[in-house]
This record gives sequence, C-alpha cells and structure tokens, in this order.
Amino acid sequence: MIRIATFSLPMAIAAVAFAALADMPASAAEWGSIKGRFVFDGDVKAEPISITKDKEYCGNHKLVDETVVTGEKNGLANMFVYLYLKRGDSVDVHPDYEKSASEPAVLDNNECRFEPHAMTLWTKQPLEIRNSDPGIGHNTNAMKLTANPSFNEIIPNDKPAVKNFEKSEPAPSPFACNIHPWMSAYVLIRDNPYMAASAKDGTFEIKNVPAGKHEFVVWHEGKGNVRNLKLGKEKTDRKGRVEFEIKAGETLDLGEVKVTEKDLGL
Amino acid sequence: MKYTTPFLRLLPVIGAVVASVGCQESKTPDFRLNMVRMVSTETDGDYQQEIANVLDGLFGTPDQPIAPAGSGLDQAKLNLAAGPAWSDDAGVNHGLYRKHCVHCHGVTGDGRGPTARFLNPYPRDYRMGLFKFKSNAAADRPTDEDLHRILWNGAPGTSMPSFSLLASAEIEALVEYVKYLAIRGEVERALTSYVYDELGEDEDDEGRVYRIPLNPVDGEYAEDQREAIADIVADVSETWQAANESVVVPDEDAIPELDNRTAEERAASIVKGRELFYDKRANCYTCHGPTGLGDGQTTDYDMWTKEQLELIAATDSLADSVAEEREADDLDEDDLRELDRSEQLLSDREDVIATLYPIRNAIPRNLRAGVYRGGRRRIDIYWRIHQGIPGSPMPGVGATLSDEEIWNLVDYVLSLPYEAASIPQRALPVNAETLVN
Ligand code: HEC
Ligand code: HEC
Repeated sequence: MIRIATFSLPMAIAAVAFAALADMPASAAEWGSIKGRFVFDGDVKAEPISITKDKEYCGNHKLVDETVVTGEKNGLANMFVYLYLKRGDSVDVHPDYEKSASEPAVLDNNECRFEPHAMTLWTKQPLEIRNSDPGIGHNTNAMKLTANPSFNEIIPNDKPAVKNFEKSEPAPSPFACNIHPWMSAYVLIRDNPYMAASAKDGTFEIKNVPAGKHEFVVWHEGKGNVRNLKLGKEKTDRKGRVEFEIKAGETLDLGEVKVTEKDLGL
Repeated sequence: MKYTTPFLRLLPVIGAVVASVGCQESKTPDFRLNMVRMVSTETDGDYQQEIANVLDGLFGTPDQPIAPAGSGLDQAKLNLAAGPAWSDDAGVNHGLYRKHCVHCHGVTGDGRGPTARFLNPYPRDYRMGLFKFKSNAAADRPTDEDLHRILWNGAPGTSMPSFSLLASAEIEALVEYVKYLAIRGEVERALTSYVYDELGEDEDDEGRVYRIPLNPVDGEYAEDQREAIADIVADVSETWQAANESVVVPDEDAIPELDNRTAEERAASIVKGRELFYDKRANCYTCHGPTGLGDGQTTDYDMWTKEQLELIAATDSLADSVAEEREADDLDEDDLRELDRSEQLLSDREDVIATLYPIRNAIPRNLRAGVYRGGRRRIDIYWRIHQGIPGSPMPGVGATLSDEEIWNLVDYVLSLPYEAASIPQRALPVNAETLVN
C-alpha cells in the first residue's frame, strides 16, 4: 500500500453542506420547472470513426463521431442547459433533489465509447468511472478540470474509479481516453442540481427551480456557449446566456428550439 | 441578470508598461500577456489592458517583482532571482533568472525565449502551473523539492541543463521565481475567466448597453472585484502551498529503494514487470509500442499544444461563419455589429496563431534508450508510473496496481535498455501488431 496524504475532506464538506441544507429555512417554498426540445435543422451525418486501436473489439461496434447526435424527429441530443450563477451566489435546492444526491453517477467505458457521451453531475454525487469492455485497457483523462483536481488514470475492468468533486466547473469538461483517441465525453460538474443534457430525442427538463428570474447557459461541444439561439421568446446573448422567469407551480415550456449547423459552429 | 444601477465609471488608464528603473540596461523587458488565452476566451483589447494592469499591481514587473499578499512567496528570494544580471561587492549574484533561464523559458515564463523555437521538446511554459516530473498527485503543483531536483539534474535528453554548479541559495531563489511566474500565469488565466463569466456588457434599466470594467487593484474601486481578485490569488496560491500534502510515499516494506536483492530476485521481478507492461491493467505497450521503442501511439498531443489546437480549430470555424455572413444580404444593424466583432476577433486570432511554434506530437518515450527526463532513480520511475506524467498523455496506475506491481514495472523499465533487441518478444496479445500505426 502507498500512503497518499490526500485529504478525505470532500466527503466531510459534503456532509456538512448536506446538514446545512437540510435544516435550512424553506425560503424558496415556491418552485417551477423549465423544459423544451432541441431540434436540429441541418444534415450532419455521423461520420464513422477509423479504429486505430483494439480493432478486433472496438471495430465491431460501428462507432461514429458523436459531435452532433440526433435522434427521433431530428431531436438534438447532448445540448447542455444550466443555471448561471455569479461568483459567490447560491441557490436554494428543492428537497426532492437531496434524495438522489448520494447515488453515484456512472460514466462507463463501454464498447470503446463513453456512455453517456454528455452528462451532468451535482457535486453531492460521486462519479463512478467504469470499464465494461472485457480485456480492453482504457484510461480516463480529465486533466482539463479547472476548479476541481484533475486526473488521468487507467481504469481496469474490475475496479471502477470513484471521484468526488467540490466545486462548480464553469462549463462542461472534456473527458478523454488517450489509448483510444476518438473517445470523448463531456461532464458538467456544478454545485447545484439545476442543469440538464438533452436526451436522444432532444428533450430536456430542469425541475423545481426556485420561482423567480434566472439566467441559464446553453452549451454544445461543437461551439461552446451557443449564442443568438432563440428559445421561446428569448434569445441567448454572446455568452450563450438567456434569462427566464420561472413561475411558482408552473412549467415554462419552450417548445421546439431550432438549432442550425451554424449555431453549433459546424 | 440585469443591473439596476449602471456601473458607469471612467477608467483610469494606467500604463501596463512601467518606466524603467535606473539601471544600465537600455531596454527593460516586460511581461507579455497570454495571447492564446486572451483570444481563445474572446477577451478584447480593453480587458487585456485592464488584466495587464491588475497583474502589474499584484505581481510587479520583471525588474521589481512583488510577492502578492497571501501567495506565500518569499520576496527576498524573488528579488535575488529577478531583474538584470549583476554581482554585488560581496560577490552575491543577482538577476539569476535572466542570466540562466530567460533565453529558453522567456521573461514571462511562457516557454518562448529567443532560442525556444529551435528546441525539441520546447521549454516548459509555466503559466498553467502544470509540471511533468513530480513526486505528488498528478493534479497538484510540484513541491519545492521537485523543482529543486529538476534544476539540479536538468532534464536529460532535452536542452534543459543541470544547474548543480549554482549555490544552493541561488537554486532556491530560482525555484521561488519559477513558482512566482507560474502563479502569475495561473492568476492571469483565472482573471480571463473572471472577466468572461462576470464582467462584459450589460444593460441598464433603460436598455442602454454599458461595459463593466475590470478595475486596478490599488484604487478605491468596486469592493466585489477586489474581493474576487484576492480570492483568485488565494485559490491559486493554496494549491502551491498544499503541494507537500499529496506526496506519494511507497510503503517501507515494498521493494526497497536501495536495491539489495539477489540477481534471481531482481530477474523474477523483471519478468513480472514485463508481464504487466503488456497487461490490460497497465497498458504500457499501447503507447510505448510492443518493443518499448515509443512507437505505439504517436498522434497525440500534450496539453500545452492541445490548447493551441483548440484555438486553431475554433478559428477555422469562425472564419467559415464570417465568410458565410459576408455573403448574406439580409443583415440588420445588430447582425452587422456582430459581424464586425467577429471579423475583429478573427483577425486577432489569426495574428496570434501566426506566432505559434510548429505543432508537435507528444511522442511516448523510447524506453530502450535508457534516458529518463524526470530522473533515473528507481523512485523517479516509480513516481512517473504511479501518477502518470501530467500534461502528457501518460496516465497513472497508482490507483489500480499494487505497490509491488509498480516496482515490478520499474524493474522492467530499467532493464529494457539492456534487453538485447534480438531477444524474441514474448508472444503479444493477438491485436498488438495493429497497434503500431
Ligand atoms: C537551453 C534551454 C533551457 C534553459 C537554459 C533552461 N531550461 Fe528549463 N527546460 C527546458 C526544456 C526544453 C524543458 C522541457 C523538458 C521536458 O518537457 O521534458 C525545461 C523544463 C523546465 C522545468 C519543468 C520541469 C517539469 O517538471 O515539468 C522547469 C521548472 C525548468 N525548466 C526551470 C528552469 C530554470 C529555473 C532555468 C534557469 C535556471 C531553466 N529551466 C533553464 C529548457 C531550458
Ligand atoms: C497513453 C499513452 C501512454 C501510456 C498508456 C503509457 N505511457 Fe509512458 N509515456 C507516454 C508519453 C507520451 C511519454 C513522454 C512524456 C513526456 O516526457 O512528455 C511517456 C514517458 C514515459 C517514461 C519516461 C519518463 C522519463 O522520466 O523520461 C517512462 C519510464 C514511461 N513512460 C513508462 C511507462 C509505463 C511503465 C507505462 C505503463 C504503466 C506507461 N509508460 C504507459 C505515454 C504513455
């Protein structure tokens, strides 16, 4: 065994924060939700990837480039929408979120790609990185984390890596595998649960946001912050931010949000 | 979120270029801004100037460095290392960094000194706080001892020389100065994020657009900004002060540092290490190649280069969209203003890209050459394998292999230069041939 004198502080802090939140006065007793569906207006074909490593295994999985992933009825997957907070600002969290907080979120190395390709992670949740490809070596390189400790480790089949994070990253962070250079994933780490990555059919929903005006960021890996995007009656600014008023007990439905190739920098 | 009170205030213009303080040198070198970062984050000229002013206020100049409050840096050591090179009557050498390091690492520590372009590998750019040859967790900043070691030994196989002939007080001063430049570079990066995330343009209640300036640290300006900047300096410095906390210390009863094993014991360990080298739990061969020649994965890049490649890719896509928009004939006033800005950004980016050195791949080491940049002691190789080589693609196996297994790998690596190339390779996994691309 080795002795790494790293602090096991994250857990302690998480526990304290948890307690603090649990008996916090319900100052924002009123909550509302926001949802919509991103629709891709363009014809980007998912290009097949040329497999340069572990061909016998990875070559069997018809891997394609996942920069733009569309699903049913042109739904656009992997669009991130998340609450923008200024430095030092915090937000009340609905008690429902606390229930699922301690369950780890899973990022799997599966069939020579990351599953999921885009995910959100609240800092209260541990991240479990697995390798479900029998006999295939993967590493997970998250050296581009800025607010949290970065890492680059081999992930074996029988021993998932479990990571805890403390701070919000300003944008989704790229995760990569250097052994299989085509593999990439984006993980959005925030210290509040108000975020979503759109599903395969393009839908997203952020539930139980405290009622009031909030700014949200819209982000996609092709472009980063998506500017000038019309969502309902509003439009994102140069930094991909847009303000919405969330009304108590209501769900703000943005309907279909049309995204063009140009919006994604393609 | 809209501000209710506009933040209109005339910006006092403070020159980023501080007048030269009486010395015989005609030209005082200046710190340069991290232009790759500036144009990548769309930090415009006004904010660039304001960031330069804040950095000057916090860190001083190459001739008159300041150890910012809370940074933990030692002012006396910085004074010895900074400024022009000269020796005083007592024979104490001053200006050590400019004398010994600047022609490779540059005044700003950006790895862009006058000779840098011609070196391979390029000299380290300190400004990400990222260093390769360390004894602690990959995420953490190097310890003083780590920096001391690289100065003492140099990086064999590269142009980074050994400075073992310098007095130890001089090496200590240089270590401090490297930390100073790294912290300064990291604060600069954090400031660009701060400007992007929190400042920029806003609208007042009447819908007038105004710009929120970044104020110099020494004025009576926005309290929240001063606090934010102090936080940034504290956050960056803290990671340096905590460096010793994550030092990787092998267990005492693992294979000892002093190798007093019998030849048979060592040979058995090498066999196990070789087994692991090709095993999926360690994956060394995927990058270093089935014969250890470093030819398994030659198309990857290090993190310094990746940042440049990202800028190049983003600029290509910007160029396409600008070209497209120039063709469009239905642009309203807003669109035209937007196009103007994009064109400006595009030309700024192209200017910065033109200054970049040729892009190079991160090539895995040829392990048969027996040259180790981070040191050739068993513990050095152990640290490389345990935590990987930060900034390069090489991952660590410390969390997955046992201490003993890592020592087996160390033994195998150190034996590779002596393994005759004619020794038939162990039967490789079926797909190994396809790995050499
Ligand atoms: C002739 C050029 C040259 C000179 C002079 C030079 N260096 Fe370097 N230095 C390099 C190169 C090249 C590297 C990168 C080595 C690598 O990436 O493997 C480097 C790397 C480093 C590193 C990074 C080590 C790590 O773990 O990542 C430090 C710190 C450093 N140099 C400090 C100094 C200091 C301080 C001086 C002056 C006393 C100095 N160097 C002088 C070329 C030089
Ligand atoms: C993802 C690719 C990759 C994998 C996997 C990998 N390496 Fe490396 N390795 C590299 C690269 C790239 C370098 C050169 C780093 C640099 O100096 O910039 C390197 C350098 C090294 C060095 C030289 C250190 C020095 O001080 O010069 C050693 C030793 C080494 N690797 C051993 C190993 C061993 C043992 C394994 C398996 C446990 C391994 N590597 C796995 C990519 C890899």
